[in-house]
Amino acid sequence: MREHGHRAIARVLLLATVLLGTAAPALALELTELMKLLAQRGSGEARYTEQRWVAGLEQPLRSTGTLSFQAPDRLARTTEQPRAETFVVEGNRVTMERGGRKRQMMLDTVPELAAFVAALRGTLTGDTASLQQYFQATVAGTAARWSITLKPLEPQLAQVLRQVKLDGQRSELRQLELQLADGDRSLMVIEPQTAPAKAP
Amino acid sequence: MKDDCTVSAARRAVVLLVWLAALAGALAVAVRATYTADLSAFLPAAPDAQQRALIQQLQSGSASRTLLVAIEGGSAAARAQASIALAAALRAGPLFEQVANGDDAGNAAMAEWVFGHRYLLSPAVTPQRYTEAGLREALDDTLSLLGTPAGARLKPLLARDPTGEAMRIAEASLGSLADGGPRRSGSVWTSRDGARALLVALVRADGADLDAQQAAIAAVQRAYDAQPGRPRELQLHIGGAPTYAVASRAQIEAEVRWLSIAGTVLMGVLLVLAFGSLPALAVAALPVASGVLAGIAAVALGFGTVHGLTLGFGTTLIGEGVDYAIYYLIQARSGGWRAWLRSGWPTVRLGLLTSLCGFAALVFSGFPGLAQLGVFSLAGLLGAAATTRWVLPVLRPEGAAGSGLRPQLAAAALALLRAMPRWRVALTALGLGAVALIGAHRQGLWGAELASLSPVRPELLARDAAFRQDLGRGDALTLVVVPAADDEAALAAAEAIGARLDRLVADGRIAGYDSPARLLPSRATQRARLGALPDAETLQAALARATAGGPLPAARLQAFVDDVQTARRTAPLAPADLRASPLGPLLAGLLVASPEGGVSALLPVHAPPGGAVDAPAVRAAVHGVPGARWVEVGPELSRLYRHYLREAQLQAALGAAAVLVLLALALRSARRLAAAALPLLGAVAITAAAFAAFGVPLSILHLVGLLLVVAVGSNYVLFFDGLHRGEAPDADTLASLLLANLTTVLSFGLLGASSIPALSSIGRVVAPGALLALLIGAAWVPPLARPPAGPRAA
Repeated sequence: MREHGHRAIARVLLLATVLLGTAAPALALELTELMKLLAQRGSGEARYTEQRWVAGLEQPLRSTGTLSFQAPDRLARTTEQPRAETFVVEGNRVTMERGGRKRQMMLDTVPELAAFVAALRGTLTGDTASLQQYFQATVAGTAARWSITLKPLEPQLAQVLRQVKLDGQRSELRQLELQLADGDRSLMVIEPQTAPAKAP
Repeated sequence: MKDDCTVSAARRAVVLLVWLAALAGALAVAVRATYTADLSAFLPAAPDAQQRALIQQLQSGSASRTLLVAIEGGSAAARAQASIALAAALRAGPLFEQVANGDDAGNAAMAEWVFGHRYLLSPAVTPQRYTEAGLREALDDTLSLLGTPAGARLKPLLARDPTGEAMRIAEASLGSLADGGPRRSGSVWTSRDGARALLVALVRADGADLDAQQAAIAAVQRAYDAQPGRPRELQLHIGGAPTYAVASRAQIEAEVRWLSIAGTVLMGVLLVLAFGSLPALAVAALPVASGVLAGIAAVALGFGTVHGLTLGFGTTLIGEGVDYAIYYLIQARSGGWRAWLRSGWPTVRLGLLTSLCGFAALVFSGFPGLAQLGVFSLAGLLGAAATTRWVLPVLRPEGAAGSGLRPQLAAAALALLRAMPRWRVALTALGLGAVALIGAHRQGLWGAELASLSPVRPELLARDAAFRQDLGRGDALTLVVVPAADDEAALAAAEAIGARLDRLVADGRIAGYDSPARLLPSRATQRARLGALPDAETLQAALARATAGGPLPAARLQAFVDDVQTARRTAPLAPADLRASPLGPLLAGLLVASPEGGVSALLPVHAPPGGAVDAPAVRAAVHGVPGARWVEVGPELSRLYRHYLREAQLQAALGAAAVLVLLALALRSARRLAAAALPLLGAVAITAAAFAAFGVPLSILHLVGLLLVVAVGSNYVLFFDGLHRGEAPDADTLASLLLANLTTVLSFGLLGASSIPALSSIGRVVAPGALLALLIGAAWVPPLARPPAGPRAA
């Protein structure tokens, strides 16, 4: 009698697992999982090399420099080659320095930029909500080698940006690929400089 | 006795003819007068040229015709759609110079114009820029953005503008918007929290033309209402200076109507109380009506326009004017008009003179509204007194019949006179306490806020301030002003100031600034820029060297070379060119004609985010530019207001001194003068102390009210002076005293209930002050010899 009851419960549990597994989108589960993994990582520094293929130019544009992220929301890109340039976002404030000229502005005044920064910050902090505000996210691969593809939700943004593809290993972002609506493309390869800071 | 009541036919004819002719003349002037109800009465007439320019800006500058429109509720997409449709409808109409909602499509004409003139407008155009090194640097700058989302807008222009002049112009004007402007969602501006779509519309008509502003506000509402398929949950809010100006006008008009109706009813009730007869009521209304008409005519002749507030104030004139009629109609009954001229008229005349002294001080006020009040009251009181003195004897030689409720009023007055002396100690203590309290609150007694006179509700102003913050536009409350002889000189000065302010921007001391020279550089600067552009051959050669081995071949940049050659052949832009261009409205707000001829350049300076403008740094930076002045509108207006407050305090002191001199002349005794003056002083001190105790700072209008307490109260103390001399009061005289006080307290009490600060301030001082003057005066009346009996004989 008791054994029979145990079996019944086990069968119900099994059934529930199967049902849940098919009913809920598998991708959402994986994105959540990946985001949990990414959220473990706090601040970090990295070197990058970037190539951009732009229609009408005879060769790709190359640049190198450093990236840094300080949780929760400070993102900086310092270009070293071909010319010194910095781009810092902190909260809603953007500071740009190019050719000796410094400009400040609010991130939300340029929706395209706001979306792009949300994609980066969202990935680096594991903030699913921030990603899904602007993009439809698709996850592929395994935790050891993953890839997120982001497609803009708003038509306004889609007129400029076709998709963003982020590749990484465990909690580290290793590659960022941008495809623009007009066919231009940029690929940034990222080399982390510091060991990931594990969450306590 | 019988002789005292007769009026010869000739006299009657002459008096009535003169009176009717005067009334007809005044009526003609009043009918032709212009009536205004704008906010200008609250703005002082500024003493120096700079301040006059400031006041002019406040009255008709671009802020005075900027509508701030917000669309709330519903979904973001619905708000954006409504914003785009509304902007398109308003741009299609003739009422607006400029409509901005962030929708680039709407400003395509402006962008195209700027791009077409980029070699005149870009601050980066120098000879160095077209050398090999300069070109390489500029090209690298542009290329660094290509292939990123930010480069998408740049790419279509690459062949024509590879050096990125359009971007440099945009970058420079970024500094004119704090935070880089409003948040964008989709293609429209929104508040920072994204909950409201924002739209700014600049009305074409002058800010002082309130009818046109009202029409523009209505047009926005109509265009919005007419949108087909607009979701019902969306809400439209229209703000900005024109909405206050229009709303205040409506408020003033409504209140004036209400006050005059209430004042008329009040007068009717009092007269019925006094006489119990309708014909007497009609006759008693004549001095008041004549006075009001005389007042309006005098103001129209003296000022050209009559302000609505002046009419509102007219209700208090009813209170004074009706007293004259009451005195005459009651007192003439016992001896006819000739007897009244001998016995009653001198007292009325003295009361009239003291009131005139009080109001005369206002005539010289720096506030046009107060000066009008002064003139209106002077002419009105004179008109009412003259009508009483000359016309009433002709119409009613024997006064008015009927006794109404006068016996009861007399009994009440008598009871008051008997009761008040018991309160001498308490009143003395109260008076001394009041003086001590005023001494203790000396510093905070007077408020220095011009806003205390403005009828605009503070929450509306706060709402607008938040709106402006969302727009990234300062409220233009801090700016550098440079007066100059002509446009060219003003633009050159603006450039000199701009160069100095750029350093402060780099240091982060200010976020940025606007300058007319960004839209229209001086002729010298434009010539220098045109001179920096090389000919086709030189440019091609430099371009070939600069692009060698790079990703962007020179062969693809022929359009650039052509555009530079076209630019070289163009003439510098003149102010007239710019005014006719899509940028015209922007320039109009920054390059303005001065009231005394010449042109002023305005450079609004924006505070860094979350901070304040470093005023000493800006002042030091503009110091070397001749004529340039740093103006902080708020403190400047406060300074102006304090100047007028001091002036008004002096005028009030002179007015009060004049009242005392009149009393001294009439009483001819230091002791009697002291007995008359102390109750007035006590009434003023207790009233002012009450305001201090409640923490209400006194404004210029409260000061005016205190002066009126002295002027009105002097009538009562003169009456009580008679009692000191042993003149036993008769019932009618006692009744008329109480009636006179009642009319004053009630008519000023009506003003005190007004929601317009300018009117309520005066009312709230005079109503309690006049009552106090009566009560304190009554407290020191000697015990009455015998009870009054019936009408006075002789």
